[in-house]
Amino acid sequence: MPMLLTLPFARLPLEAPRCAPRPMIDPAADDAALMALAGAGDRAAFNLLVGRHGERALRLALRILGDAAEAEEVAQEAFLRAWQAAAGFDPGRARFTTWLHRIVVNLAIDRTRRRAGAPMAGLDAVAELADPGPGPEAAASAAESRAALAAALEGLPPRQRAAIALAYEQELSGAEAAAVLKVSERALEGLLRRARLLLRSRLGGQ
Amino acid sequence: MNTKQFARALDRHGPVMAGWPETERAAAATLLAGSAEARGLLQAALALDARLQRDLPQPDAAAVARLQAGIARRIARAPLPSPPGPLPRLLALLRPAAPAGWGALATMATCALWLSLSPPRAAPEDPFGPLQTLPLAGDLF
Repeated sequence: MPMLLTLPFARLPLEAPRCAPRPMIDPAADDAALMALAGAGDRAAFNLLVGRHGERALRLALRILGDAAEAEEVAQEAFLRAWQAAAGFDPGRARFTTWLHRIVVNLAIDRTRRRAGAPMAGLDAVAELADPGPGPEAAASAAESRAALAAALEGLPPRQRAAIALAYEQELSGAEAAAVLKVSERALEGLLRRARLLLRSRLGGQ
Repeated sequence: MNTKQFARALDRHGPVMAGWPETERAAAATLLAGSAEARGLLQAALALDARLQRDLPQPDAAAVARLQAGIARRIARAPLPSPPGPLPRLLALLRPAAPAGWGALATMATCALWLSLSPPRAAPEDPFGPLQTLPLAGDLF
């Protein structure tokens, strides 16, 4: 054996093959940096973005569609499209969240239009989504209130519903909401005005 | 500001008046001080706002976890992001050249092309030539 070690090729297989160390992703990296990594094929970086923005994407889809199962499908589809287009994402043109929310809102509006005329499948489910109240009576009353609001929202045109969903997102400015819908802030205010008018008339004294 | 304008502003900007434009906010404050009808409108708007804050659907934690797991599963199987094709890359390179938008740049390019291709109109040798045919022209031209 010692003789064998003197041969020129003998040392090569004795060492374990070295793998290039996988660079650690900084969890505090901003969205643009994570998208740059995702664009280069880093799935972990993209999953960090999903963890960061998945809930809001799902909430937006749910508020536009009113159906939990459809909202999950739309949010998943939006993230998949974001993954496929990650290499071409240009942070100089739009923030990642604006870009992502635009995909979510457009997909949700398209789906709402496709099923126009059909009743919303998940009104009852939507009424049961939030936490129940302290007692059965309060829970029943809260569920009734949510169902009435869901029915009133169903009667809004999809873009007005999207405007309401965006306007009631915390930490989303009017300018960002307008950018998601690709309208001016004034046009967004117009959508909100018509939506609130319709909602008040449909909810009446409830 | 009258109550009708106030109602429009409420629906446009929402009932949280801290976010209103300064001039409208000042006018609304003056109206609210003297109009019970305006105060009623504000109460109705606040009630709707509170209801939307409270009753708009929220996804539950299980749905969010399901979403994240579902995306991770699909991304693991999906092909890697493909780099943009030559046309999007060219457009991205040219974008700084169109600060007023692609429409404006296209219009300018069309005008430049038209000016360069259209034959120059030959200037009349005598700009007053047509006037000389008039019977009263005489020796004036």
